[in-house]
Amino acid sequence: MMDMTEMTEQIRVKARELLSKDEVACVIGYETGPRGIVRPFFAYEPDEADRLVWNDRCAHNLTTYLHDWKHPRGQSQMPPSVGIVVKACDARALNLLIQERQLTREWIYVIAVVCQGMRDGDGEEAPLQARCGRCAERTPVVHDVLVGEPTVTPARVDWSDVQALEVMTARERLAFWARQFDRCLRCYACRQACPGCYCYECLAEQVDPLWVGIGIDFSEKFFFHVMRAYHLAGRCVDCNECERVCPVNIPLSLLNRRIVREITELFDYTSGLSPDEPSPLTTFRPNEELTL
Amino acid sequence: MVTTTRESLWGWLDNLIARYPVIAPRRVEGVPLFRRIAAADEVAWDVLRTVVSPKAWLFPDSEVILEIEKRAGDVTLSEPPSAGEQILFAIRPCDARALRSLDAMLVDHSPPDVYFARRRRQVALVGLACRQPLVDCFCTSTGGAPDDPGDMDVMLYEIDKGYLVQAVTERGTSLLSGLTAAETGHAPPAPGSRGESRRMAFQTQVSVPEPAAWPAHFDDAYWARLADRCLGCRICTYVCPTCRCFDVRDYVTGAGPGIVQIQRLRAWDACLAETYRRAAGGHDPRPLKAQRLRNRFYCKFLYVPEDFGAIGCVGCGRCIAACPVNIDLSEVLAEVAQMVARRQQEQMEVFALPQTEGKVSERM
Repeated sequence: MMDMTEMTEQIRVKARELLSKDEVACVIGYETGPRGIVRPFFAYEPDEADRLVWNDRCAHNLTTYLHDWKHPRGQSQMPPSVGIVVKACDARALNLLIQERQLTREWIYVIAVVCQGMRDGDGEEAPLQARCGRCAERTPVVHDVLVGEPTVTPARVDWSDVQALEVMTARERLAFWARQFDRCLRCYACRQACPGCYCYECLAEQVDPLWVGIGIDFSEKFFFHVMRAYHLAGRCVDCNECERVCPVNIPLSLLNRRIVREITELFDYTSGLSPDEPSPLTTFRPNEELTL
Repeated sequence: MVTTTRESLWGWLDNLIARYPVIAPRRVEGVPLFRRIAAADEVAWDVLRTVVSPKAWLFPDSEVILEIEKRAGDVTLSEPPSAGEQILFAIRPCDARALRSLDAMLVDHSPPDVYFARRRRQVALVGLACRQPLVDCFCTSTGGAPDDPGDMDVMLYEIDKGYLVQAVTERGTSLLSGLTAAETGHAPPAPGSRGESRRMAFQTQVSVPEPAAWPAHFDDAYWARLADRCLGCRICTYVCPTCRCFDVRDYVTGAGPGIVQIQRLRAWDACLAETYRRAAGGHDPRPLKAQRLRNRFYCKFLYVPEDFGAIGCVGCGRCIAACPVNIDLSEVLAEVAQMVARRQQEQMEVFALPQTEGKVSERM
């Protein structure tokens, strides 16, 4: 397994090269802030490449920032090329955006990193994030340059989190979600962090007509979260950023993963594995028969 | 000033709970939040900072402010009943100080926010001094202190044998009747003067640039780069104890032959939201994320001090802890301080540079 210092060095070398040759306007990666917290970093100058880091705290799915580059600074001209550091889950989000015609593959220089999983909390003994414990990929499915040695990890199918909810009665499940959404602030961090949530105007904030009221009450919160989960059906790459950024720890993965499971089992489909394979919920093939 | 044992204090608190709604830090599914408590043992005493500030109990995230009923040409307007007297228990000095700022913005400034003002009059604050700061707390940098009783009615200090109890106001004195004292006659500590407070090591210490220093840096490229990683969510404003923006809408809640019922609702809004400044016709004076993020800092450190003579930030550190991409207000303040220092240096070098006016003429 390649050492993380060496991986950091490879990312820096590549970023410096891309920026020096003006092949990209910016490389989106990670840096360590003054408090020692790893955070997204945008390198514009070759010298800034040395601020980039790679370690097991690079949790953010940076592909969500690519939406900011589609129409830079409100202009309509072709956006400049961008370099981006992606993990395996982020790479699937990238494929999703290419498949949905949000991005052109050629605009993006993909610095893909073989990921050994992200950790929460302090110290080296900190536990792997739940999503990383389940991850079957490790090696990103799309890359221009691959950092780290490709590894194959046997898939560990584990729906136990979702099953715990499935055994509840509908009434119990509603009570469960009422308890969770009670503390939702409608801060929209889940939506903002999600690469798949890129509507110019979210239905939850549209003012004319006002589909969802301004109230921060159960009905609005429930509607918002369920709507978001359905809008991500067949698209969610299970990167779990929504849950990770939630300031009040709402287990949003349970909503999304319930649908991911459905899609997996019904259609044998995993979103984002290929930029070409159409999503089963937005496609109807000639002669296709619905055999649900 | 008296001391009391833990048991006596809990007994007194249970008595309060029997008489008033008591709101205190409580763990809700593991998340520390201010919630109404039913018994003294529900208080999460060890929580230094709840995720959301207790302002939500005086300025709720959503509330009906008017009920309108139109019946055969007659219009009846009614206000929902008051929540009545409430007690915010184990509120920390930074959060209580934030209420003083909200007073300046919402009550002392005309026209007053009558809904906030009414709740504010009816709330009693029982404070709990902090024994040690969190890594991102910086109340002492904004003029506060972790044991400042100044904004409380009653102040509690944890001591080895139980609690030191100080009645700060007359309301506090009357609340405390019924508390069994272990020892009496302790001298009240001067704000921020207790040995403990002085010994506390604040890992985050910042020097807040003066309001007059900010306008010159309004167009600095710094803000766009900071905004690169901003997700554009509303966490920072919603967890903040001094943010007070809201939106108001009327909803039809019932209708029949000759009858229409309408509720006027107000709910939190945030300057970080894309829809916040959008005007009728679609114009938005703050269309860029960088402008919206910058506004948050200019509001706290220029507009609020200038317009209300209040402090916009009490150093609670919530926005720092909650930001998913580590936009760190203490770091921003340090960077702005550096920008200010660089500019002063340049002005000394280029003697003729004009001074910038203290007022911002073109706020966005």
